[in-house]
Amino acid sequence: MKTGLPVAETAETLRHVGRLAREHRGQLTWTVVLYACASAAGLGAPWLLGMLIDKVTAGDGGVDSIAFAVAGFVVAQSVFAGLSHFVSGRFGETIMARMREDFVKRALALPLKTVERAGTGDLMTRSSRDVSQLGRVLRYAAPESLVHLVSLVFIMVALVLVSPILAVVALAVTVPVLWGPVRWYLRRARPAYLAESATYSEINEELAATVDGARTIEALRLAHDRISRGDRRIAASYRAERRTLFLRNVLMPSLDFGVTLPVAAVLLTGGLMYGADMISLGMVTAAVLYANQAGEPMFMLLALLDELQTGEASMGRIIGVGPTRDEETAGRSTAPRHGPAVRAERVRYAYTDGHDVLHDVDLTVTRGERLAIVGPSGAGKSTLGRLIAGIDNPGHGSITLNGRAVADLTLDELRDEVLLVTQEHHVFIGTVRDNLALADPSADDARITAALAAVDAADWVAELPDGLDTRVGSGERSLEPSQAQQIALARLVLADPKVLVLDEATSLLDPRAARHLERHLAAVLAGRTVIAIAHRLHTAHDADRIAVVQAGRIAELGPHDDLVAADGHYAHLWRSWQG
Amino acid sequence: MRLMKPLPLPDPGEPDTRSPVRFLLWLLSRQWRTLVVAGFFGTAWMACIGALPGAIGQGIDAGVAARDTDALLLWAGIIFVLAAAMALLGMIRHQMAVYNFLVGAYRTVQLTTRHATRVGGVLPRRISTGEVVSVGSADPVTIGTALDVLGRATGAVVTFVAVAMVLLNISPLLGAVILIGLPLQALVVGPLLKPLQTREHTYREEQGVLTSRANDIVAGLRVLRGIGGEQLFAEQYTRQSGEVRDSGIRVAVSSAVMKSLQMLLPGLLLVAVTWIGARLTVAGDITAGELVAVFGYTSFLIMPMSTFLETARKYTSAHASARRIVALLRVTPAVADTGTTAAPDPISELADPESGLVLRPGHFTALACADPGDAVAIADRLGRYVDSAATADGIPLTELRLADVRRDVLVADNEAYFFSGPLREQLDLSGRADEAHVMAAVDTAVAGDAVDSLGGLDGELEPDGRNVSGGQRQRLRLARALLVDPPILILVEPTSAVDAHTEALIAHRLRAHRAGRTTLVATTSPLMLEQADEVCFVADGEVCATGPHRDLLRTEPRYRAVVARETETSEAEVSV
Repeated sequence: MKTGLPVAETAETLRHVGRLAREHRGQLTWTVVLYACASAAGLGAPWLLGMLIDKVTAGDGGVDSIAFAVAGFVVAQSVFAGLSHFVSGRFGETIMARMREDFVKRALALPLKTVERAGTGDLMTRSSRDVSQLGRVLRYAAPESLVHLVSLVFIMVALVLVSPILAVVALAVTVPVLWGPVRWYLRRARPAYLAESATYSEINEELAATVDGARTIEALRLAHDRISRGDRRIAASYRAERRTLFLRNVLMPSLDFGVTLPVAAVLLTGGLMYGADMISLGMVTAAVLYANQAGEPMFMLLALLDELQTGEASMGRIIGVGPTRDEETAGRSTAPRHGPAVRAERVRYAYTDGHDVLHDVDLTVTRGERLAIVGPSGAGKSTLGRLIAGIDNPGHGSITLNGRAVADLTLDELRDEVLLVTQEHHVFIGTVRDNLALADPSADDARITAALAAVDAADWVAELPDGLDTRVGSGERSLEPSQAQQIALARLVLADPKVLVLDEATSLLDPRAARHLERHLAAVLAGRTVIAIAHRLHTAHDADRIAVVQAGRIAELGPHDDLVAADGHYAHLWRSWQG
Repeated sequence: MRLMKPLPLPDPGEPDTRSPVRFLLWLLSRQWRTLVVAGFFGTAWMACIGALPGAIGQGIDAGVAARDTDALLLWAGIIFVLAAAMALLGMIRHQMAVYNFLVGAYRTVQLTTRHATRVGGVLPRRISTGEVVSVGSADPVTIGTALDVLGRATGAVVTFVAVAMVLLNISPLLGAVILIGLPLQALVVGPLLKPLQTREHTYREEQGVLTSRANDIVAGLRVLRGIGGEQLFAEQYTRQSGEVRDSGIRVAVSSAVMKSLQMLLPGLLLVAVTWIGARLTVAGDITAGELVAVFGYTSFLIMPMSTFLETARKYTSAHASARRIVALLRVTPAVADTGTTAAPDPISELADPESGLVLRPGHFTALACADPGDAVAIADRLGRYVDSAATADGIPLTELRLADVRRDVLVADNEAYFFSGPLREQLDLSGRADEAHVMAAVDTAVAGDAVDSLGGLDGELEPDGRNVSGGQRQRLRLARALLVDPPILILVEPTSAVDAHTEALIAHRLRAHRAGRTTLVATTSPLMLEQADEVCFVADGEVCATGPHRDLLRTEPRYRAVVARETETSEAEVSV
């Protein structure tokens, strides 16, 4: 059920760029002005050199003052180049920070349903690869292109000033040589480079899997298989590399040739013009040097074009994680609370149309009751839990919490009413305290420690090197899966909702520890409504009532002793489970 | 023999891992032929670029200034040919550079993969996932670029020397100024680059931390959206992002200064050369065309100089990468495969003297441990994942060839990994079982729902079986172990994440599936224990009672306390 997150269209991306540019107009203007100054200063040297040659051939003096002037231009160019480099660097950093902060804020505002459906993989790629790709473009490719564009424009202007005819000649030989190959290349480059970088991700993933699964490889004697798979990934990467190499084999020689050709053309034409006394020797020299000087910015600009394309694509994926609408459904219902804690009426649900996983489920849970849901895998237990927790809405029928329809609650109200903890858990990078305080930022150490004690985690947390201040999560101290599960439950205790849905929330603890924890937790949560989905029957035994779910229906419902006495499915299960 | 063999090479070779430098030298020696060719074309290509200013100068002198149309045509023609040669040679040079890059990068990946498969289970414990990611992605690239640059570096050396000769020939004074001035600049700029690089490095690390922070938020988004804390995380992230931005701006300051210097120093040298040249021209020592050529050559020499700096920088990074790679390549397996005795084919009786456990051939034995850690330790010893006194048919496992032990004894635990690929291939690793066999194993493991959720046996399993639930993964692991069909199968808690309905089914079917073969199941579930021919109860690391489940329940109170899921006794526990 993966539905990808949206990607912004090119037009929308460009509008966004336009907005950003307007907002940072000042910085942008400075960048362009300084680059222009640097480029202008850079043109002084060839011009003066031309003058120098004229003077030298005419046997005039004044060589020293011209040399001095050239030095002045060189100093000016260096200073302006440095300044513009700094201003554009600061500009890139500012925009980059804005973009990534907006991305995280938008991701944090995604509706729960979207997050659950899209999964985190796509978002991960965006937050890591796309953000860093865009960073490279903003910090390097965009300013570099700007430099080269500005200097190219200046060189062309200078060339026109020296001799319009020679400028036309230079363009006339360059453009036809470059036009075709560049167009040809740009049309093919992006998919080819994307495919190429995908093959590297695959190589990397394969290697990471080989290391992660090293023991399994040993146990199942898969070494040979892993090696040949790795080599196949490399072969695929080699094919992709050859493809992009082929594209460059067309582009690069054209660029090399196309930017050098005008030098020959300008020299030849200029020489003929000098022969006809249409132009001075110094002007020919300057024109030839300009033609030669134009080569580098032209080459770089064209070579950077596909990097800019990639940046556009990444930006589209970053701003594509758009603002949200679903969550805005106003909390209309300030109606007084009445009715049971949870009521499900004729609830149906299907992941794919026509295949209901729940069939007209009716269930009422009174306030403070502890209900256990048991049943075989795939019976629909977790789906029922998700519906009660408001993560999805039933296809038919309704779920009400304390008399209010789940679908009508705002996110804040929903959290106040009900929370779901599953066996999937996540420990954030940060201290143990940070990991718990997210459930209630106002919680002090005493409350945090109490919450940890309620899930039997106070002891091991106290034994950590820095107690609550110990840093945990990815790249820091890693917690056992069972400890992570305890952290998730402690968050729940701090959040203190009225209804708790625990979907195999203690499955990673060993059975006896799990039971101890559950009983301890039950004592702390007295008065709260708890719905526990469990595969271990002691959870069922300890609950007030048990719902046996089979094939999308509640097959048996009642207290443990009644169900055992009824000698139905549960009773049979209980006897064999107990040993 | 083909110069550029298709990649990957069938055998990456045995690397020299005594030190990072030796490793790099070994890499160079393995591809010296293509490196030499790259050097040749790098030189030829750079020579064309270097010859361009000379040709321009000659053109202006002999053609334009002399008003000699023939000479003008000749030199314009030469520039045209140089442009074409530059394009062609540049293409071949690039081709060779990319090939050298790829050979080095791919070889590094191949070496790492091969070593990882040799070392086995101990690797993830010695090397962090982060380092592996680096060795898998960034390090081959740095190694590759170090090989890539060699062709140009060769060209830089040769053309630098050649242009120096030409310059000295035009004017010894000018030549000397340039040849002393340029290296002098490198000496001035070089040391200044170091602090900038350090600052950039810190900045990149901060960026890395920020990226992991964003990834962390995204990975835990379900938790944050479910329980709250978005505000807190958004604020933290914005603060960190702001710090990284400021640090980036500080880097921009120093790199701007560097940029200025890198322009200023060669620029001033150029001015000095031009000025001296102009005076020489006025004095009639050199021609105007030669002056233009000197100007061009001096500009050109900046290129080989920066290639030298680039090469030095790339080898510094390559050295750091080589250090990480060598560290990984030097990890040794947990047990040394020094045994030379061939094991009986197949092994029939395994024994672990440390606990007193003996696996009866053909029996379905259960291992109930008061401490779950004991079960893992015993399984590790019997499967020879650690060295111990364990024996196979009386011969110590340490004396047997490790391959023979792996052939006959399979330890299947809950950490076992699933690789990505079609489910059928991931279940039937040999690829030899027919549909009926595969489905029989799936049926025994009651994993039909997992197969269905992937759309059948042809469905794709993601790495680590991420696209099935924890319970489904456990049952698929069992099905896979059953399909390996080893003479001795050791299962550690194979049903810990399975509901009671399903567990009862699995226990029943497992026994039938393994009929006649040796099976050990470490478990404390009565549903499973009930099916065993014999239960060995382990307390304090030793087998202290053996017998059928029902008998042990009656005779062994400690056993009863561990496995029986009684409902009244634990009230006392709670009040503790």
